[in-house]
Amino acid sequence: MADKVFCITSGKGGVGKSTITGNLATALAAKGYKVVAIDADTGLRNLDLILGLENRIVYDLVHVVEGVCPVEKALVKDKRTKNLYLLPAAQTKDKSAVKPEDLMKIVETLRKNFDFIFIDSPAGIEEGFKTAVAPADAVIVVANPEIASIRDADRVTGLCEAMGKQEPRLIVNRLDPKKVARKDMLDADEVVEILGLELLGVVPEDKNMVAYINKGEPAVLFEDSIAGRALRNIAERILGKEVPIEEFKYSESLWDKIKKVFGGGD
Amino acid sequence: MGILERLRTTIFGEPSKDIAKQRLQVILQYDRAGLPPNMVEAIKDAILKALKDFHFVDVSGVNITVAQENTDKEKIEIEIPVKLR
Repeated sequence: MADKVFCITSGKGGVGKSTITGNLATALAAKGYKVVAIDADTGLRNLDLILGLENRIVYDLVHVVEGVCPVEKALVKDKRTKNLYLLPAAQTKDKSAVKPEDLMKIVETLRKNFDFIFIDSPAGIEEGFKTAVAPADAVIVVANPEIASIRDADRVTGLCEAMGKQEPRLIVNRLDPKKVARKDMLDADEVVEILGLELLGVVPEDKNMVAYINKGEPAVLFEDSIAGRALRNIAERILGKEVPIEEFKYSESLWDKIKKVFGGGD
Repeated sequence: MGILERLRTTIFGEPSKDIAKQRLQVILQYDRAGLPPNMVEAIKDAILKALKDFHFVDVSGVNITVAQENTDKEKIEIEIPVKLR
């Protein structure tokens, strides 16, 4: 059976988990699949912002766990993309409010009615992370090409394996081709070599991303977004299509090359 | 490495991403094996103490590395060079 429930995790915070979760869920829903994105980051909810749904939340994950309402009632229907739903995190509770078995039960209920379920994991490796990973058929680890993020990605990979999950796949996020060219950033294939994980995709640094997030509009809905295009390709790979991993090359001008030789650059 | 890159490395030092990569390779081996971060230093101290009476040993050249044999087997390799006359 194909994987249906995906957990997006990273260990380190701020590497782009919620952005990637929101965008992959949107991309697959835009292709006609019925998708639910679950924000498992109890106490620090953010996925609603990525999707621009913060004003529509009535019930949240903790309400469902506490039996205040059935899960169907807590789902927020996306305003742009048909077939996309958000199960928001509670903002006022802490991570202990949702136990692994609680989320597993909720996901079991949703599994029947959805093609894909994406769980946005909190940062860290404590109970919130364990709850988020528990119901997943497959884990996606997000890492930025920098030392702390890669170390944390390796740590969560080990923990996922200890939890009996199949080996996570890797998304290298915020790759800056200019820094790679300057040899101040590891390239995606070097991150893969270090972590030893299957590469699901590479998302380049995109200066327009902050504007999409500001507006609550997922970048995958915009043809001209370079990060959006990379994320759409990742969605295709999740569907099992063989889309080659893109290469992001920084094309230097002759002047840049001269500056580089003489130690310049910005 | 091209001639320009080699020149650049000579003048400005090793690219920072190569340093990151080397550091990560060591860090991850320690993390994965659950080894204490000061292990190399601690073993080195013990070896130097044990070897101090053996004058044919070049203690300054003692090298300790964590090597991975298979995916599930880590070993500590200790290299003790002999002083050449």
